[in-house]
Amino acid sequence: MSFLNPLLLWAGAAVAVPIIIHLLNRRKFQKVVWAAMRFVKVSMEQNRRRMEIEDMILLALRCLLLLLLALALARPAMRSSTSDLFGQSKVTAVIVLDNSASMGVSDGLQQRFDKGRKAAEQVLDTLPTGSAAAVFLASDGVNAAIPEPTHDLNLARKVIRDAPLSDRATDLFAAIEKAHETLRGRTSLGKEVYVITDGQQSAWRQLGDIQKLLAKAKDARGDQSVQTRVVLVGEPEERNLGVTDLRVTGGLTPVNRPLRFEARVTNHGKHEATGVRVTLQVNAEPPGDDVVIPNIPAGESRAVSLFARLRTEGFHSITARIPDDRFAADNRRTLSVRALREVRVLLVDGNPGAEPRDAETFFLAHALVPVVPEEAEGYFIKPAIIPVADLAEQRLDDFDAVVLANVPEFPASLVTTFEQYLRRGGGLLIFPGAKVNVAFYNDQLHKRSNILPATLGEPRGDATQEDQFITLQSKGYDHPIVTIWNDPGSGQLNSARFFRAFELQLPPTTSEPAGKREGEKSRSPAIPLSQAPTNPVPDAGVSKVILRYSDHSPAAVERPWGLGRVILFSSTATTTWNDLPVRPAFVPLLHRTLASVVQRQDEGLNLRVGQGFARRMAAEWLGKDAVILSPAHSGGARELRKIELAGGLPMLQYDITDRAGVYEISIAEPPAVLKFATQPDPVESDLTEVTPDELRALGESARVIRWNPTLSLREMVEKERLGSEYWLPVALLAMLLAGLETFLAQYFSRSK
Amino acid sequence: MDKAHIDALLDPVAISRAESLGLHARLLVEGYMAGEHKSPYRGFAIEFAQHREYSHGDDLRHLDWKVLGRTDRYYIKQYEQETNYVAHILLDGSESMKYGSGRLTKLGYGKMIAACLSYVILHQRDAVALDIFDTVTREYLPRSNSHSMIHKTMATLAGFQPQHQTNIAEVLHDMARQIRRKGIVIIISDLFDDEQKILDGIQHLRFGGNEVIVFHTLDPFELEFPFTGLVEFEGLEAIPKLLTRPQEIRKSYLRELEGFRTRVREGCEKNHCHYVPVNTGHALHEVLAGYLAFRLKTTTR
Repeated sequence: MSFLNPLLLWAGAAVAVPIIIHLLNRRKFQKVVWAAMRFVKVSMEQNRRRMEIEDMILLALRCLLLLLLALALARPAMRSSTSDLFGQSKVTAVIVLDNSASMGVSDGLQQRFDKGRKAAEQVLDTLPTGSAAAVFLASDGVNAAIPEPTHDLNLARKVIRDAPLSDRATDLFAAIEKAHETLRGRTSLGKEVYVITDGQQSAWRQLGDIQKLLAKAKDARGDQSVQTRVVLVGEPEERNLGVTDLRVTGGLTPVNRPLRFEARVTNHGKHEATGVRVTLQVNAEPPGDDVVIPNIPAGESRAVSLFARLRTEGFHSITARIPDDRFAADNRRTLSVRALREVRVLLVDGNPGAEPRDAETFFLAHALVPVVPEEAEGYFIKPAIIPVADLAEQRLDDFDAVVLANVPEFPASLVTTFEQYLRRGGGLLIFPGAKVNVAFYNDQLHKRSNILPATLGEPRGDATQEDQFITLQSKGYDHPIVTIWNDPGSGQLNSARFFRAFELQLPPTTSEPAGKREGEKSRSPAIPLSQAPTNPVPDAGVSKVILRYSDHSPAAVERPWGLGRVILFSSTATTTWNDLPVRPAFVPLLHRTLASVVQRQDEGLNLRVGQGFARRMAAEWLGKDAVILSPAHSGGARELRKIELAGGLPMLQYDITDRAGVYEISIAEPPAVLKFATQPDPVESDLTEVTPDELRALGESARVIRWNPTLSLREMVEKERLGSEYWLPVALLAMLLAGLETFLAQYFSRSK
Repeated sequence: MDKAHIDALLDPVAISRAESLGLHARLLVEGYMAGEHKSPYRGFAIEFAQHREYSHGDDLRHLDWKVLGRTDRYYIKQYEQETNYVAHILLDGSESMKYGSGRLTKLGYGKMIAACLSYVILHQRDAVALDIFDTVTREYLPRSNSHSMIHKTMATLAGFQPQHQTNIAEVLHDMARQIRRKGIVIIISDLFDDEQKILDGIQHLRFGGNEVIVFHTLDPFELEFPFTGLVEFEGLEAIPKLLTRPQEIRKSYLRELEGFRTRVREGCEKNHCHYVPVNTGHALHEVLAGYLAFRLKTTTR
């Protein structure tokens, strides 16, 4: 037996009261001078024993009465597997309803989420009168729809009925942990957590931690024990295709030029898929390009290239789509792309040479405008080449990017100019060479201003010979600039030979791109819901390795700086130290590198579902209202946000991004339209169920129930529900004793 | 003792009713004077009482010649002569008689009984002797039928205050030994003593040829025991304090009291004594008149 209010057991000390009263009363009596004493004496002797017994009975009854009252107040409770005569004690429950994207899988009639909602309502129906319930919506985060248990179960029902489905991934650990935390410390005999989910394996990726948590809660004593029931809705799905990736392969996105997009389709089903048509749609236009994938074996993916043209400058949505199956949410993927009219690049030539071909910027200029001279004028990349001496006169803000090609040094005052340029979003590419003043770069650009992503060490190799060289890495291209080379069809980077190159020494805070090494699997991190991005934009960001040599030493590194980016190569942009400029990969590498600096801010246009959107806006928009329209397929809700200062910069922030697709931002004055897009976690497309072994393991600490419409959840739960409070029978017994005491007191005190 | 106290002892209504009824001798008493009471002496008589067969040696002056002439049988005449009696009033003056739940204590009531009876008896020109006792006789007025006796009796009664415990039996035995001439012994007491000894004393008095009347005087509270709550009874005599809940022992108490009274009554009846239960809550005149009327009805002349 346990007690829900154990402190009130001290009320049992009140049992001393009738004893004290009994003793005190013996001091209060009437005095009578009496003659017929012998008759009184005889009568007393005749009745002494009976009176003593009666006194004892009454005293015992009074003491017992007080003890029972104290017991009732302490709310005794006992666990029993049989149903209780006095009814079930109330329950405090938390319902965790999975509203991740996979709950959108349909069986042809209903989605899993509809079944989940029904199951949740059935759970509410099982709760005894007086119970309370909280409701959490769980995906890769927790949305506390009803954060604290409420006795208003009708409210809980309404919340469940109105609960929205999201396009988020699933990781149930956080929600289950929060549910248990909510119940902790509550005084209730019956504490229950219901996890209503579809059984997707990826949702239980932290199964070990979940099991530990559930087991600890289940084995806790008394009113700290929490029973967890996992209700699995939905049937296993054997077929599912999903568009798991969509990206711009070219890097830069100019208007009116064919842009290549790569869409990846993954077959998560158990059967081969054939004839999969992939279409590409720009904005709301009719689908443009399409490709048919002949077959995708089970468990594999295929990438296809699709082309589209963006007719106007500005923001566009690009959607890759495959035919709908039972899981429609992953059959499309949308990107937001900003089309550029032109990209102005300032090439600073540190060693012009006698011949044009000798100039440090020769290969760069040609790579940047890789068209015939007749078309060069109309090409969107506009390079401008200047000598170092003219650098001070240039307005860097007129250019989207600045390339320093073997520039020895420049006035220290220009370092500040570069800082301001980068802070405002400019891009800087640095190709070192024999002319560079290493000390200048390391002192001024690295030590002083932290512009340089790495320090220049000693150059290694011999550029005068061609026998000894190093090559670039052959696989494991993880940085976004170089990921296309993971596809053999994009060519090879590692064919380029480097005869001489600077050693790049990275600062201690350097990170690997997205925490990956070659061969390491990608894992989506849990994204907290409703978290706006941090406001301040630090000047010097963390240095990242873009590309490595085959000996693993860095070949190119980058660092965000302000709103801009700096990319440092380890070798020349000419064929002086390497032959990369004459390799086919040079042009796309340069273009993708340029895109990463020019369109740095546009990286924030494409987010994972659930991530917060934040974009630095022009000063003229400060204080203005922006209307944000949600993706059309999710209902197209409108929200208002104000452009406010954050970290000293005018920022527009928005965090309600639970649905995948394009979000359209409209600002009235000065008029502007922006678009950003959210993409679902590709892991969510994998509908593989938890294995029987995993279910069995889960069943050791929780009750696992396979829900179906005909299941009587109520019956099942009521049968299992443990324990009842016994305060009512104890109180009834106390009342009975009170009545008996009153009756006996009257009876004993009658004339005898 | 002032006149008011003395006069308070004489209830006029009781006196009036008692006088009209009188206290007549129930049994033949010895007496010297001619009066209202039958004398047991047969030696000389004014009034023929009965015949008896002649025995050798009888006085031939009392031979009934007419019966001889009629029946040829020899019978002697016996005669009755009315004479006076002495009433010995024994009033229990022990501490237990101090109890009274109302206006009068048992002693006060007993004094009034004694006073009224004294008055009636003296008014009848019978003699009264007064004995107020507890363990021994405390106040004694020898018999007298003079008019001044009434005053002496009143004064003695009014002035007496109880102080000691009871030993009724011893007093009765003493009285039995002292009384020379048969008379009426009137005992006014609560009899809170060993009832067997009391009855032995009464029997001793009866053996002496005395008529005994017992006025068993009890207070209404002693008779009903109406107490409630928690009560500490403090004894007037030997028994120490007793703390109890009276309502829980009431039935036992009444049973005990009733048993006691029954035994006393039965003992008295066995000894041919009148047992008069007196409730001091009742009016004196009713008690006395009721008894005297009963006595008148049942006394043979």
